[in-house]
Order: sequence, then C-alpha cells, then structure tokens
Amino acid sequence: MALGAANSAVAGINIFACEPEYAALAKELAPDARIYSATTAMQDPHQVQARPSLIAKMRQADLAVCAGADLEIGWLPMLQMKSANAKVRSTDQGLFFAAEQIDTLDQMASVDRSMGDVHAKGNPHLHFDPRRLLGVAEALTQKLAQIDPGSAAEYQGNLTRFSQRWNDAIPRWEEKAKPLQGNKVIAYHSSFKYLYNWLGIEQVADLEPKPGIPPSSSHLATLLTRAKQGDIMAIIIASYQSERGADWLGERADLPVIMLPMSVGGNDDSIDLFGLYDSVIDLLLAAQ
Amino acid sequence: MTISTIRLTGVAAACAFFSINAYAEDSSLTNPAISAVLDGYYQNTERPMSERVEGFGLGHTEVAMSANIDDMFYGKLTAVIEVHDGETELGLEEAFIQTMAMPYGLSMRAGRFLSDIGYLNNQHVHTDAFSDRPAAYRAFLGSHYFDDGLRVSYVAPTDLYWTMGAEAFKGDSMQAADEHGERDYKTIGVYTAFTKIGGDAGINGSWQAGLSYLRNENGRMTAEEHDDHAAVQEDHDHDHSHSAQYTGENTYVADFVYKWAPNGNYKYQHLTLSGEYFRVADFKPLEEEHDDHGSDAHGDSGKDYQDGWYLSSVYQFSPKWSAGVRYGQVDTQLMHDDHFDPQKLKETEVSLAWHHSHFSTVRLQYTNQQGTNFDGIEDDNVITLQYVMTLGAHGAHQF
Repeated sequence: MALGAANSAVAGINIFACEPEYAALAKELAPDARIYSATTAMQDPHQVQARPSLIAKMRQADLAVCAGADLEIGWLPMLQMKSANAKVRSTDQGLFFAAEQIDTLDQMASVDRSMGDVHAKGNPHLHFDPRRLLGVAEALTQKLAQIDPGSAAEYQGNLTRFSQRWNDAIPRWEEKAKPLQGNKVIAYHSSFKYLYNWLGIEQVADLEPKPGIPPSSSHLATLLTRAKQGDIMAIIIASYQSERGADWLGERADLPVIMLPMSVGGNDDSIDLFGLYDSVIDLLLAAQ
Repeated sequence: MTISTIRLTGVAAACAFFSINAYAEDSSLTNPAISAVLDGYYQNTERPMSERVEGFGLGHTEVAMSANIDDMFYGKLTAVIEVHDGETELGLEEAFIQTMAMPYGLSMRAGRFLSDIGYLNNQHVHTDAFSDRPAAYRAFLGSHYFDDGLRVSYVAPTDLYWTMGAEAFKGDSMQAADEHGERDYKTIGVYTAFTKIGGDAGINGSWQAGLSYLRNENGRMTAEEHDDHAAVQEDHDHDHSHSAQYTGENTYVADFVYKWAPNGNYKYQHLTLSGEYFRVADFKPLEEEHDDHGSDAHGDSGKDYQDGWYLSSVYQFSPKWSAGVRYGQVDTQLMHDDHFDPQKLKETEVSLAWHHSHFSTVRLQYTNQQGTNFDGIEDDNVITLQYVMTLGAHGAHQF
C-alpha cells in the first residue's frame, strides 16, 4: 500500500487551476501533483487572455479546477478548444467547477446586460467562505480519486488532515473577527461578498456602478455623499483592482483604503489558504 | 433576393429551434451560446478593396450560435447579414463542426470556417481595433479567408506552446479571375500548412509567432489574350464576394504578436503589438513565363511576387479607452495587356475607441492612404466613425 502510494506520488498528476486559491486547495489535497495556476491574485480572473502558455499547460492537464459560475466564461472555453485535451472537456471527467459543489450567493432568476456583467449562476468568488470551501475540498477529493484511483486513499488522508486544520481554524478566525461584525464598508465589485457574509460585514455601496463597469466620477460623487454619513469603516479593494477611485473617495471622505489579497499570493502573508484568511482578517482589523 | 429570403427563413427557423434550449437556466458550456454583433458606421469616403461604402452603412452584422453537440463534437454557425446596394444579403461565414475528444492533442474541423493561417485571419473582424483589415489582408485574402473544407491540427504536449496544422479548401474565393469564362478550376483549390509557437515573457508579457503557407492551385492567372485591361480585380470593389483581389500560386505568411499588461492584469491597461508579412508568389501565366524575355522588354520588372505587411500597436490605457496606430502597405501587380504594372498602397492609421463596457465600442479612425497606380489613389484621407456592440453570449477572447 505504502509502495503504491509512493509510486503514484512519483508519477504525479497534472492539475491546471484557473485561480490561485484552487491551486492552493489542490496543493493541500494532492501535494505531489504538478500544479499550475493560470492566474495570479494580481490578475482579474474575468479578463484573462487565452494565451499560448495557458493552452500549452491545459494541453498537458489531467484535471482542470476552476471557480465556475461563468467566472472564466471569457477564456476557459477557448482554452478547452485550443488545447485539444479531451480529458478536461467535461465535468464528467477532468473538469471541476467549485461553484457547482455548493450553493452560491446572489443567484438570479433572470439576468439582463443592462445590469452589468452579472451571471445568473451567482457570485463565483466563493473561496472566502470557509464552510463552502470545505465543501469544495470534499468534492475535489472525490474528483481526484476519480481521476487517479490509485491514490484515492492518499487524497482522502490529505482531506482529513486539511479539514481538521481548517475546522480548527474557523472558530479561531471567527473569534478574532468578532469586532468586525456589523461594520459597514464600501468595496469594489462583489469580490469579497462571501467574506462579508461570513464575518457579518455589510457592503453598503460598490465602487463599480454596475458589475464590470468602472467607477465614474458621478458615481463616486454619490458614494462620497453616502460615505459622509459617517458609518463606514473602510473602502476595500482587491489586489487586482485599481486604487484610483478608492483613493479619490478615501481622501475626500477621510476613510482608510484597504487592499485585500484576492487570493493566495496577493500579499507576502498569503502563502496558502490559511495565511490568506489570517491576512485578510488582520488587515480588516487594522482599519478599525 | 428570393434566395436570400429563403435562407433568412431558414435561419429564423434555426433561431426558433435554438431558443428553446436557450431558455434553459444553464447556458454556459452545454447549451447553445447565442450572440449577435451590431456594426454600424459613417465613413467620409472609401478604402480600396473594402466592404465599407461611403456615407452611413452597416458593417459585419452577425448572428452566431455555438454549442457542444455531444461529448465528441462542437458546432458553430455564424450568419452575416450585409446590406449592399439596398439589398439585404445573408451569408454564412462559419458553419463547422469540431472534434473535442480526439487523443494526442489532435483535432479536426470540417465545414465552413476561418482559415488558421496568419495571426488575424482566424479572429472575427469585430474584435479588431480598426474598422478594416490591413490592406494586405484585403488584397490577398479578401479581408478574411473562410471557406468550405477540412482542418487537422495538433498541439504538442510541451510547456512552450506549439501547434501545427493543415487545411484543404474548395478555394472558390481565392481563384484567379477567369476573363474568358472557360477556365477549368480544380475542385480542391487551396491547401494550407501552418505552425505557431508561443509562451510568456515574464509575468507581464506573452507572445506568439507563426509561419503559414498557402498553396493555391487556381491562383495563377491564365494567359493573356489581348483583351484590353483584363485584370485580376475585374469583378471589382463592392461585390461583397469576399474574394481575394490579387492571387498567386504560393503564399507565405509570417506573423507575430506580443501582448503586455502590468502583472499580467488586462483589466486596466494592456498593449498589443502585432505584425504580419505576406508574400504571394507565382501569379504570372506559365505560358507567359516561358517567353518572358519579350515581356521584359515592355518594362516589366519580371518580378513574380506581390507582397504586403503591416505593423500595429494598440494600447488600452484604461478600461474605457483604447488607441491604436497601424501602418501597412501592399505592392501588387496589375496585368495590363501583355505586361504588368506595379501598384502600391500605403496606409497609416490611428484609431481611438471608447468602451462603455466589455460589450460596447465606439471608434473613431483616421486613415491616410498614399497610392501609386492604385485605383487612382494618391493622397487620400478616410475618416470612419463606427460602433461595434455585442448582444447575448460572451464571446471567448482569443489571444
């Protein structure tokens, strides 16, 4: 048994992660796999180019792990077609969408482009909800076992260890983040929707007038009026978002602007999923 | 027009059929993606070899449907509606199936589709940063070369992207003009072979370079029979035929593209540099070549190739604005009695585009044309105001 595990570890499967959070999760569950992240925390995952290096990586993948809920709709289908890799074509085989494993927030019955670039399948930035992410980890373990049955026991063991550490961390994070409860923020996009939902923070306004539409001066002016009511804790942007609109508002409303890492690698402390959560909560607490 | 109407009905029926599935909640990968592109413009004058006429007009208005057919096949249908001389014409630009589950990085595409030669050719025109394709494309490929045929391509399992492929096409739109209506064209007129390599240059940059070859069995002219002014571009300018205006037996294309974005984040700013070189060789009638000592005496340079190239740079400097500069030229040969006259067209273009969202673009473009024996152009200025807007499904972004 031990020998079998060692052998498959040497063989190692190829995992193509659409975002760094899923590369990090894959690393927890399959540390011996060759894992490649298509994007970094500094890149807007909505606007990735289906560039040659990504086609080459996807060509070699045994498993593609993506957020789903149409986050990658602008580039993943092109990669799938151009890479001509039948293994990662369908979720029956080596394709995995995190959003399909859990209930997403903000699903919509009907969607219209005049609402901006919104998607009916709900908010795909779900990696900031620890319980949803655990659900994703469980489903991903099953997927890994399906792709690489020889190492199934190993993946299961890794999941057990990961969920133990994760379940230990959740109450610790919740305790630490208690002072944040009930606070109001102005943020950019719905990037941290799950985080606010989890920690009891309220996003009262969005720097984007509509999803995918950059902040306009008239929109910023209305935000300034809102900010002057005096109940806002901070303005929050993600590591790939421009600070320009946020800085403008922050200066005039005398509010701190916090740049939170969107994912693993978004700042020096976010070396893995645990570090990412710790860093985000610390940064929010510091603004208080 | 009757034919067009019948075809329109067919597409309407197809739309009705597809829309049943479109109501299904999940519309991403399994159900048909339906989109339409609206393209309208005002232009103060005309560009040679272009489909856009003077004044107000509609450009490439298209309706596209695509979906996975099953676990093995993907299919796409793109209908293009063009208005020309008051008539509404419906054309099919794409109607293809592609395999999705072949092993070893192989795939096949069959039906009508855009050839994969060069850089721009496989991209839809409405994704361009300029209102028209470079002169070299308009002269040698009929703006964009799509045709009925078959493609086989292969992607190597390497970290450096490397693909290669071959295509065979009917080649009707690439045929050299037939002045006397008695030419025997080959049924499979065009064969291509191409290869592309690409990768990242650090975290900020990505690149791709390609080489293509196109063999056109019907690209060589027939022997001149002393009609006056028989020309390759006889069936001229605005016939919407999408035919190549200048053909030859062998076409070689070299292309490259480099894209830059800070941290690889394309959201706020990015720069695209691209260029292509075309060389279309062996266009003279073979008979003529045999006794071409005589034609040399007529001042014919004896040059048996035509070429063209462009260099383009587009900078998206904010999510709302982008600006582009492009220079391109073509050197072609026009048959005139028993000799060829060289022609030249140089185009310098700047464009400025405003994007309210990912799906709407309004563009202002200025083109300066310097011509030598080219449709009487000497020094022309073309101004185009254009909008391109996409309804419906997200189009995937090609590199």
